[in-house]
Amino acid sequence: MTSPMTQRQITVTVNGAARAATVEPRRTLADFLRHDLDLTGTHLGCEHGACGACTVVLDGAAVRSCLILAVQADGHEVTTVEGVADDGAMHPIQQALWDNQAFQCGFCTPGFVMSIYGMVGEGCGRLSRQEIREELSGNICRCSGYQKIVDGVEAALSGEVTA
Amino acid sequence: MSSSPTGRLVGARINRKEDVRILTGKGRYIDDVHGRGVLSAYFVRSVVAHGRITRIDVEAARAMPGVAAIYTGADMAAMTNPVNLLPPMPNLVGPTFPVLAVDTVRHVGDPVAIVIATDRYTAEDAGALVDVDYDVLDPVISCDDAFAPGAPQLFDDVPGNLIFTDEASFGDVEEAFASADRIVTDVLDQHRWSCVPMEGRGGVATYDQATGGLTYEASTQSAHLLRIMLAGFTNQPINQLRVVANDIGGGFGLKFAICREDIAVCAAAKKLGGSVKWTEDRNENLTSAGSAREEKLTVEAAVRNDGTLLGLRVSMDMNLGAYPGMASAFAIPKQILFMLPGPYKIPAYAYSVRVAATNKATYVALRGPWAAETLARERLLDKIADELGMSPVELRRRNLITMADQPCPMGTGVPLETMTAAETFERLVSKVDLDAIRAEQAAARAEGRLLGFGIGTAFEPAPGTAAYWANIGFPAGSEPMKMRIEADGKVTAFTSQVPHGQGHETTLAQVIGDELGVGFDDVRVVFGDTDATPYSMMGTAGSKAAMMATGAATVAAREVKAKVLEIAAHMLEASPSDLQIENSVVSVKGVPTSGVPLAQIAMGAMLAPGLMPAGVDLKLEADTSYDGETGGWSSGSHACWVEIDPDTGKIEISRYVVVEDCGTMINPGVVDGQVFGAVAMGIGGMLLEHSAYGPDGQYVAATFMDYLMPSAPEIPEIEIDHLEYQAPTMIGPRGVGEGGTVIAPAALMNAIDDALRQVGGTRIEATPVTPTRILEAMGVIPRE
Repeated sequence: MTSPMTQRQITVTVNGAARAATVEPRRTLADFLRHDLDLTGTHLGCEHGACGACTVVLDGAAVRSCLILAVQADGHEVTTVEGVADDGAMHPIQQALWDNQAFQCGFCTPGFVMSIYGMVGEGCGRLSRQEIREELSGNICRCSGYQKIVDGVEAALSGEVTA
Repeated sequence: MSSSPTGRLVGARINRKEDVRILTGKGRYIDDVHGRGVLSAYFVRSVVAHGRITRIDVEAARAMPGVAAIYTGADMAAMTNPVNLLPPMPNLVGPTFPVLAVDTVRHVGDPVAIVIATDRYTAEDAGALVDVDYDVLDPVISCDDAFAPGAPQLFDDVPGNLIFTDEASFGDVEEAFASADRIVTDVLDQHRWSCVPMEGRGGVATYDQATGGLTYEASTQSAHLLRIMLAGFTNQPINQLRVVANDIGGGFGLKFAICREDIAVCAAAKKLGGSVKWTEDRNENLTSAGSAREEKLTVEAAVRNDGTLLGLRVSMDMNLGAYPGMASAFAIPKQILFMLPGPYKIPAYAYSVRVAATNKATYVALRGPWAAETLARERLLDKIADELGMSPVELRRRNLITMADQPCPMGTGVPLETMTAAETFERLVSKVDLDAIRAEQAAARAEGRLLGFGIGTAFEPAPGTAAYWANIGFPAGSEPMKMRIEADGKVTAFTSQVPHGQGHETTLAQVIGDELGVGFDDVRVVFGDTDATPYSMMGTAGSKAAMMATGAATVAAREVKAKVLEIAAHMLEASPSDLQIENSVVSVKGVPTSGVPLAQIAMGAMLAPGLMPAGVDLKLEADTSYDGETGGWSSGSHACWVEIDPDTGKIEISRYVVVEDCGTMINPGVVDGQVFGAVAMGIGGMLLEHSAYGPDGQYVAATFMDYLMPSAPEIPEIEIDHLEYQAPTMIGPRGVGEGGTVIAPAALMNAIDDALRQVGGTRIEATPVTPTRILEAMGVIPRE
């Protein structure tokens, strides 16, 4: 139930553009992105912070957008899967994942892309395959068995990839 | 894009078409369907396992601003027809039940009302105000509960909670057991686990008041079957019902056919004359969507001391939960029992099965739904080998049906031809040094470490044969395809497959590109829209696409190609048999400069028919189907190495090898992906995942904190080798999506038992294999 008394005015920089909106305090960042900004690339796989499908990058760090309220993002910078590359192009991380056929149904995919984007942005450097698996342990994929996601990340990290 | 060794598209590890939208966040899954006036649905669900609804009060909820409607079970019953999904069949008793519970709830999560509101937040707020009182009844949790004298009855029309029984016998079973040197018995009590696609169920129903048409954009594996069923239950004329599937976030069997919520959402949209969206959340998915694999088997083998198998006897109880789905009640138990003799020479075999209705969520198909048979059989074989002091490799080798033995019947009489399980097994064994493994295990034991090694082998109906499916009671059917060459020479293909991760937009484009001599990027595969695609009941299920959809694409492409060549023959003054299409140009073989672009022929046929040769068919379309020829099988053999921590009971998989044969690989990257994913699912199912119920029937695994999904560190690096046996059929590929999930549990469990055996531990007879169960088996802690 919505009422004007409970609405908050927020401005969030999303994929480089300032986006102002009026939201209920209980609205999650994920729902704000998906339903208010129509950025439906951020998916919801569990809504309790366990599966990682809703991962976005907030001020440079990968976070679960289902566990953050939109009002908490007021004044902050958010990058979603729609913002990592120019429209019609792929970021080198996406390209490496594509080249390695990392994914199948694609529902978890934006969350993985953003977790990897966050990792790279924080300067993870070259990692062993086991280290990559540990880094990705916060994202669940039901289709792939993870092996080709690891292949893709390994390939991305072996190149000159910057977030 | 890499190319195949032959320079063709088939066989090449081509980057998938689907990934462009998937990787960039442009997929269209159910919750991504937005639009003006799309209302949100939320289901109020039972909090008790078994009870009578004594009162349901929706007034406070209905009064909430933003609520468009609330329908209770009684309201919904007036808008829909009662549900019974089972066919008339001997020994099968299908209950009839309402779309939403009316008087009785039969599992935690049973839907009792649907709330429709302006948005999901409001719908959930209103749902919290729906007040339901239950008179709690004794729950039926296990098969033993269900069949006990005086057990509570779930359905008035299912006496004794017995949904299905079946028994059959092949060969002289009495004689086999009477003449055996020994009889080895084993028990498998497999737990309940679930499909858990990352996108739950859901759909958006839109009723068009102008036309009377109902469109349901659904997360489904079987668009046409869903359409037919929805029409019946919602009283909507079939020709006024369209089902559309776009991107689907995984299925694994869960999204086959129909669920009760689909019916409720469509009925609500029809009643409201608008658009209603239901997005299942994870709590609903884990609690209510249904789960799989709760089977208890007792298997007995009649064996000679030289390791020869003389016969098998199996009895099985299957816990079906409430509200039987379309195939689970009879087809899955029959598949389990028909496949159980597997790729071995079993001269005598008998089975019996009882399927129980219980107060759990509906039993559903899960990737390789028959997998219990491989798990039970391969474990029994290891137990026999152990009792005979024989190596598990030698015992299998002595009994496997090789290519040289075929054609021959399998243990259930189903004729086998070109079944390569024994060949995958030999390839696997060639990669394994069993003596070295035993030495390594002994050395590890001396250091206080515990290593285990296990193998498993099986074949699978991918797609199987007509004789096989006739035994199961499920039609094999042919596979349709429509195809059209567009005015610019590009190709549009319409498949009845409903891909949800399998990559058919890519693999079918590879097949069609090769057949028609056009580029990969010039082929578009249309799926999921029942207004556009040809009918088939199955959609994407049962590992049929690799052979069946490939066959349909091949025959359709050949048909349109023949039409193109006939026109071109006139233009080039050559015989059609002397013409070829390469790179979208028709030319005389050996004279590439003679060519006419395919686009020129197509544009002429469509826009200037008067200028085209007289008397030829200008309709560059096909609407045809592939009959599956003699059908076929896929096979595989797996080896698994584990290390068990004797202090904590933790199991680590240190190495995993797969040898599989799915015939011709259309796209090796897609094949590998199916194998990796399937094996991971089998490992997760055995070690982590448990759709657990308490003794009161409460569901206790309703979040990912309780239902443990395997993540990347839990899954080992998997080594794969492909046999690529070329069967004599016109169509070479076979399905590959399910075998990994079928065989991995067997190889893994055999490895665990191998480790436990070395320290005098007891065999694992009940899954999942948690650290607690390991420590119990080792005698470190007392049994629960």
